[in-house]
Amino acid sequence: MKIYFLPVLSVTVGFLTSAGMSVVAADAPENRTLGFVVQGWMPSVYETKFIDECPAGLNISNDEIWWRTLSKAERSEKTQDGLITTLDRWFLAKSRGPKGEDVCINPEVIKDDPPLLTVEGATSFGVNLDGNTDGSATPKTCTHENFISPVGVPGVDNQLYRLIGCIYGFRDQGVIEINANEMRRTSGLAMILIEVTDVDDAKNDDDVTVTFYRSIDQFPLDSSGQVIPHSSYRVDYKGGGPRYGDSLKGSIVDGVLQAGSGDVRLPYYGNYNYMHPVIRDMQIKLEIADDGTNSQGTVAGYYDLEQYLYLTGGLGPVISTGNFSCPAFFDAAKRMADGYPDPDTGECTHISSAFEINAFAAFVVHPDQSSNMETAER
Amino acid sequence: MLISKMKRNIGQIACVAAAICTLTACGESEPQTSGAPPDMRRLTSEQYRNVIHDVFGEHVEIASRFDPLVRTDGLFAVGASKAIITPSGFEKFYNIARSVARQAVDKDNRAVLIPCAPADALRANEACSRQFFTEVGRHLYRRPLTESEMETAVSAANEVADQLNDFYSGIEFGLTGLLVTPSFLFIIDETEPDSSSLSGLRLTGHAKASRLSFLLWNSAPDDMLLEAAETGALHTDNGIERQVERMVRSPFLARGVRAFFEDFLDLEKFENLEKDTTIYPAYTINTAESAKEQMLRTIVDHTVNQDAPYPEIFTTRKTFIDSHLGRVYRVPVARPDGGWEPYEFPEDDVRAGILTQMGFLSLFSHPGRSSATLRGKAVRELLLCQKVPDPPGDIDFSLFNDPNAPSRTARDRLTAHATVPSCAGCHKLTDPIGLGFEQFDGIGQFRVAEQGAIIDVAGDLDGNQFADAKSLAQAMHDSPSVPACLTNQLYSYAAGRAPERDEREFVRYLEAGFSDSGYSLKALLRDIATSDAFYAVSEPKRVDDGVRAASFNDKTKQELGS
Repeated sequence: MKIYFLPVLSVTVGFLTSAGMSVVAADAPENRTLGFVVQGWMPSVYETKFIDECPAGLNISNDEIWWRTLSKAERSEKTQDGLITTLDRWFLAKSRGPKGEDVCINPEVIKDDPPLLTVEGATSFGVNLDGNTDGSATPKTCTHENFISPVGVPGVDNQLYRLIGCIYGFRDQGVIEINANEMRRTSGLAMILIEVTDVDDAKNDDDVTVTFYRSIDQFPLDSSGQVIPHSSYRVDYKGGGPRYGDSLKGSIVDGVLQAGSGDVRLPYYGNYNYMHPVIRDMQIKLEIADDGTNSQGTVAGYYDLEQYLYLTGGLGPVISTGNFSCPAFFDAAKRMADGYPDPDTGECTHISSAFEINAFAAFVVHPDQSSNMETAER
Repeated sequence: MLISKMKRNIGQIACVAAAICTLTACGESEPQTSGAPPDMRRLTSEQYRNVIHDVFGEHVEIASRFDPLVRTDGLFAVGASKAIITPSGFEKFYNIARSVARQAVDKDNRAVLIPCAPADALRANEACSRQFFTEVGRHLYRRPLTESEMETAVSAANEVADQLNDFYSGIEFGLTGLLVTPSFLFIIDETEPDSSSLSGLRLTGHAKASRLSFLLWNSAPDDMLLEAAETGALHTDNGIERQVERMVRSPFLARGVRAFFEDFLDLEKFENLEKDTTIYPAYTINTAESAKEQMLRTIVDHTVNQDAPYPEIFTTRKTFIDSHLGRVYRVPVARPDGGWEPYEFPEDDVRAGILTQMGFLSLFSHPGRSSATLRGKAVRELLLCQKVPDPPGDIDFSLFNDPNAPSRTARDRLTAHATVPSCAGCHKLTDPIGLGFEQFDGIGQFRVAEQGAIIDVAGDLDGNQFADAKSLAQAMHDSPSVPACLTNQLYSYAAGRAPERDEREFVRYLEAGFSDSGYSLKALLRDIATSDAFYAVSEPKRVDDGVRAASFNDKTKQELGS
């Protein structure tokens, strides 16, 4: 095994004490490495106290849409007078196509669902991905409406928020992403590692490389179920190289890591779906916590719409408690897509997005290249 | 003993030639000692486990725990000679004995563990029972069973077999009986007349074999050692030398050394170690187990596998880590999914030696914070064999614990606390040492500041200044009290008692030999195990009705109240 560790603490984190004092001096040795393991990954959703961003309110659930189509007798029969709860009848409700089709896998079979209620507010988290502030089309984008950031920066591209912002399941305390995060935390699937190399100064460095890997190791958890920082994670290797390993160039300014943009393939697991989406023109910003725990940040970029819809279509029971109609969602998603137009149809294939992440200090452990060690598929 | 004395004499000649030796250090002959009265020591939990596993196999589970021994003169091994078995303690032994016996005669094991098979398993078979108890009894009692003991076991087995129509139930019953007798549960100094000794007594060959085996392997004698006892070889210098050499070279020596250091360093405390996991999220039960294991692996590798000088356990950068410790030390591990791997702390790292490992640092800390006092006390008492007086009963901690006090570091608080005259005396002994470890929190994680204030870790160890934990470790390495303490405690551990008054010269003789060997623990073990003093016994204590040997029959009747 080859472990990339540092002169001193370098591999991972160069940090620190309860008093917030760095043990890594500014003139620390060059070419140190910082490592992180991503624990939380949630779409950035800007919410106001009285849901002003959704003037028509939040979307109703797939379950409600389903039972509203039934007579009282049918409702009574299919739910055993309500004894079969919403969570237990999720598949029944989802299979409401004319011939019993799953409407999330075959959304086109339903044409008359109420349109998806989408965000109409002007404010959103996220970044300016396309470089303009008016939302006009560019060679890489379709016409769309821009947001203003909460601190007043114009030109924010986040059509994913516009799509999901009025769906209870994607909002704060909504079950869909919380469930997905919990499944990642406990399953050890889709473990994202971030390795920052070429670090001369952990607080300020104008040229670092940020590489994204998948780990084959699970989170070690403390007695309260929380992730223990400063753990070692092996990188997933196959065929002599890392299975994932896209890099971005960036910098660290006053302890804030910023990198991008570039295309990055990442593993994703949640709600029983496993996939490997590529986020195009991805940027990352991470405020590195002094003590190595819970560094907070944002990832933004153009998410492959097909992958995202695959994910949504495969949702399990949360489809009923997450509160949206798959056919309406699919229809709206295609309208919201604003990145990477198909050369033949002109329709955009990606959707601008922003995600909040949190990450813990970690040791990123590479196998000995010469051993050509392959890791087990998870 | 012959060879070791010859080696020491050769050393003496060499030393004289170099004109650099003192009389003590250069192989003077072993001082004569009269030993102590014969005694009996209760098996420790680990010894019990080792004996059962050696006799019946590692697969035999021993789930329960025994009554704890009392730590006496800094060692459980010494407390073992003062142990009594209470009725409830006996019940535990009995339940474990039943469980062990049941597993031994289990259908899956009987073909291997019982050397014969009865023609009719539904009836008693005296010949097979006798064969089984002859072989097993010799290892459990560390000597052949007497005819009366054999008769008791065999007749009990036969009776039960006939009543239950099952030969193996009879064996199980008889074996349970053997496992709860004092001859198994106690290591007994059985003696025999010897006109050449001062007391007119000597340990029997089997008693010598037990002493040797429990010292070096922490278990009962093996066949070869028992044979040496039975042929009288253990009453000759040459016979002892050969057995000691064989045992020191055995992989089982690691087991014996682990047992000693577990006792010497009071690692039994890990059983009750608790930490506040809201303060120390990296602490789990697994982490604590790893911390203890790391200390023992480091020590055994250093002293046994490498045969490196004992004082270097305080300065060596070589150790072993696993994924749990990697999180505490903040170093990467190659196998996050488990397993141990060798690790060497970088030369400029803050850690070196066992005192900067999580085991020591967490064991001698409070659940929610470090403790310079507990750490300093542990160094004094465990490693330097110096007694730190117990604290007075009326300590005023208000100054120490005042959240509004300007003090931010442990040094600030202890300095304020030590202004109380009744506290100052002891804290002067402990704190200057313990404060050297303050850059490690309550579970041994490194830090440079406490409540925003830089931690000052300079101090002195009996006049030797140190700047930090590593230089403190070097001061420990250089301290003459360190090997002297180990020698004293290892001899106490071996003998099951503190050295007698007339053994002090002998202990100094051991210290000199230890020094001559370059502080090789193996050499020290050889010197002890081949010495006359290790086997010497004096007259038994006199009681009203005259001289009484250390007969378990007498002693056990008293202790069991029967």
